[in-house]
Amino acid sequence: MGWRRAVQSASLLIFLASLAAAAFDLNLGFWPPDVFLRMDPALVGLTAVSARMISLAFLPAAVVLILGPLIGRFFCGWVCPMGTTLDGGGKLFGSRPVKKSDLRGWRSIKYLGLAFLLGAALLGVSFVFTAAPLSLITRFYGLVLLPVLMFLTDGVLNVIRPLGDRLDIPTLTYARILIPRFTTQFFVLALFVSLAALARVAPRFWCRCLCPAGALLALASWRPYIRRSVSAACTGCGLCAGHCPMGAIPLENPKTTCYSECIFCRTCEKVCPVGAVAFSRTRRPIAAASEERPSPRRQFLLTGLAGLGTAAVGLTGLHTLQAKPGEGQVAPPGLLRPPGTRPEADFLSRCVRCGECMVACPTNTLQPVWFAAGPLGMFSPLLTPRRGYCDPHCHRCAQVCPTGAIRRLPDPERLWAKTGTAMVIRQKCLAWEHQKSCMVCDEVCPFDAVEFLLEPGNPVPVPHVIEDRCAGCGYCEHFCPVQNQAAIIVIPMGEIRLAKGSYLTEGRRRGLQLTLKPLESVGPAGEIPVPDQGPAPGFTLDAPPDSGETLSPGGEGAPEPAPGFTR
Amino acid sequence: MDRRTFLKIKAQGALWLAGGCAGWIHPPDASAAVVPDIAVAKGRPAAAARAAVELLGGMGRFVKKGNRVLIKPNMSFAVPPERAANTHPEVIRELAVMCKEVGASKVSVLDNPLARGELCLEMSGIKAACDLIDDQMVHIVDNDAMFQEVRIPEGRSLDSTDVMKEALRADVLLAAPVAKSHSSAGVSLSMKGMMGLIYNRRALHWRDLNTGIVDLVSVLKADLTVIDATRVLSTGGPGGPGRVLKKDTVIASADMVAADAYVVSLFEWYGRFYQPSQVPHIREAHERGLGRMDVKNLTVRTVTV
Repeated sequence: MGWRRAVQSASLLIFLASLAAAAFDLNLGFWPPDVFLRMDPALVGLTAVSARMISLAFLPAAVVLILGPLIGRFFCGWVCPMGTTLDGGGKLFGSRPVKKSDLRGWRSIKYLGLAFLLGAALLGVSFVFTAAPLSLITRFYGLVLLPVLMFLTDGVLNVIRPLGDRLDIPTLTYARILIPRFTTQFFVLALFVSLAALARVAPRFWCRCLCPAGALLALASWRPYIRRSVSAACTGCGLCAGHCPMGAIPLENPKTTCYSECIFCRTCEKVCPVGAVAFSRTRRPIAAASEERPSPRRQFLLTGLAGLGTAAVGLTGLHTLQAKPGEGQVAPPGLLRPPGTRPEADFLSRCVRCGECMVACPTNTLQPVWFAAGPLGMFSPLLTPRRGYCDPHCHRCAQVCPTGAIRRLPDPERLWAKTGTAMVIRQKCLAWEHQKSCMVCDEVCPFDAVEFLLEPGNPVPVPHVIEDRCAGCGYCEHFCPVQNQAAIIVIPMGEIRLAKGSYLTEGRRRGLQLTLKPLESVGPAGEIPVPDQGPAPGFTLDAPPDSGETLSPGGEGAPEPAPGFTR
Repeated sequence: MDRRTFLKIKAQGALWLAGGCAGWIHPPDASAAVVPDIAVAKGRPAAAARAAVELLGGMGRFVKKGNRVLIKPNMSFAVPPERAANTHPEVIRELAVMCKEVGASKVSVLDNPLARGELCLEMSGIKAACDLIDDQMVHIVDNDAMFQEVRIPEGRSLDSTDVMKEALRADVLLAAPVAKSHSSAGVSLSMKGMMGLIYNRRALHWRDLNTGIVDLVSVLKADLTVIDATRVLSTGGPGGPGRVLKKDTVIASADMVAADAYVVSLFEWYGRFYQPSQVPHIREAHERGLGRMDVKNLTVRTVTV
């Protein structure tokens, strides 16, 4: 294993450790878990355009890009976790060195792709998630591999658990693995497998022909300061050209180099039988390969226009929300966003769909959507209370978001980031419909937003949501004992989405009263209704119903009022 | 239970009651050698828990040398002890210590909570309290692999359910709930607490909750019940916040139904006093012969420590 393999492995390891830090809430000290995402020049550059923003958080990508004129596409060959993974995946699919064709014609696709994404970004539409390498790779590891790994670990644990029981090793007996589960995982997998399989055509097919970050870096490494140079000793045998994983050395003239394609892997240096190749700051003249040109300007412009056009089509979709919500806008139903998510248009222009928030979410409530958020919202995060509630103390999704699509909110603000409002579906409710005493939604509500009241004709108290107290956290929906769809669900109605300003101020302005049930002190004397006559909740009248004793009104067995009348 | 047995028990109860009133059987100052059906101790949590169990004949009556003991606390809510939604940590620790004193080979404190497990362990204070004895004693059990299906032959609402494996393996089951009201079941005491030993607690809600609790108790019968009424959550249970009564009392009995019934009659709930028979699951457990709710016919001894 050479230097490069070592650095590549270390880089991949740090990338995975960052992802693990996000997933298991580990603290890596000064190293934020989303650094790798912010190193991706395409992800950052295109988001800067689509979201019209410049941020200090984008510094890592700027550094990578600025290093282009110095050390070329070093990032691609040595650092990028996508490149490393594809190198590994390529081995799996048996990539073969390209002898006949170095895919010269195909190489320009990546510039066209970049133009397309840029065109869309100009209209504020982010298609970054389709092609930015760090978005793709984070999604792949986080949403596909991590759950599988946890699933397998759990399986192994379950196999050896009886051993722990027998030997009385409580650590083993009570070890709990929470397996994250995600939707769309097969789509993410399929996309990734096809990219790796393209190695059958040529090694690093993605990197040379498709990657928009590669395209940006290629433009930056037009004539790098440190570059490949070939001495006069070269016999022109062409061995290097055959081995170059990027096809950056033309077979017909191996003394020249296509610098924008060179990823500094130094394979050519290694295979050269006469030691004619060197990578150094060199005084030798630039020997650029003759065919080195990004793509014709006209094509570039036309593809950019196509991107713009596609974005325009997307923006005219029925479910695409405009900056200012108003009448006639059809928000996708049930689209619950994480707390602190910016207004939809602003959010979608920033969200790179890396899935980092979903990986970090401790209750697994954040799921990637497929088309539920409209065609422009693919893979964006969705709260799924049936799967998990949204803990009002937790804001890990925002802490790991690389582009601030989910705003980081300090403590009192976070509580006021209302995600929606709960609604009782009376036809499914055990208390409303089946007249069974059940108050689970009230018990679990952290905000005290569910109120149980006695209604005429029903012997048990029934739930009502106090909208102004509800933050849409979804505890009620999650814990509702009714099967399949819960009898109390959270809908986006009343959600607070702010691009700037205070959630607390906005919440107060709307008259909300979002306060948690007190933890430390003893609360009010119970808000559960106790009828003046008749028993307290859960208790019955002492006499059995058939005993012939007189029953007090409002209690069990009281006569039903006539239809339309109240008691 | 058929009608005849029911009547027989009722008749017996009446006789005992008559006897008790006449002072034949248990004069008010019975000698210390007589073990009461229900022991009541007043004092600080740990001291009261110990005194109550001592009154019943000591932990040695329930736990033999080498036994595995499972203590089932209430630690389903991520709230501190003041809220009275969880058992007081000192009560649990004292019980664990007492089990160890009489030679228990293993003591586990397990629950399948409603709220996030880690938070429950932390906020309830139970883990921190027991870690002093053994840091592998208190655990959250919510992984389906740690449960095993159990048939409920006498079940009327449930015919089977998945029960925590340790509950099946343990020699002694010790129910140690806090005394609290429950919005659906009236009260949540030792019997309702058994829901923390099963995997699918939801299933009990969409069937008949009260019958389900009794079905569960028919297979998960605690050998010893110690109810922590140092704080009583009189309204707003099971999670609170609600009115918390400071009662400094611990109630113990070998009969779950009797312990629960006595606690119902001892304290006010939602500002009023109730008969045990007004709590449907206690009444049903009594009628199905799982224990006795006719506390008036049982011997009760009270100490203050």
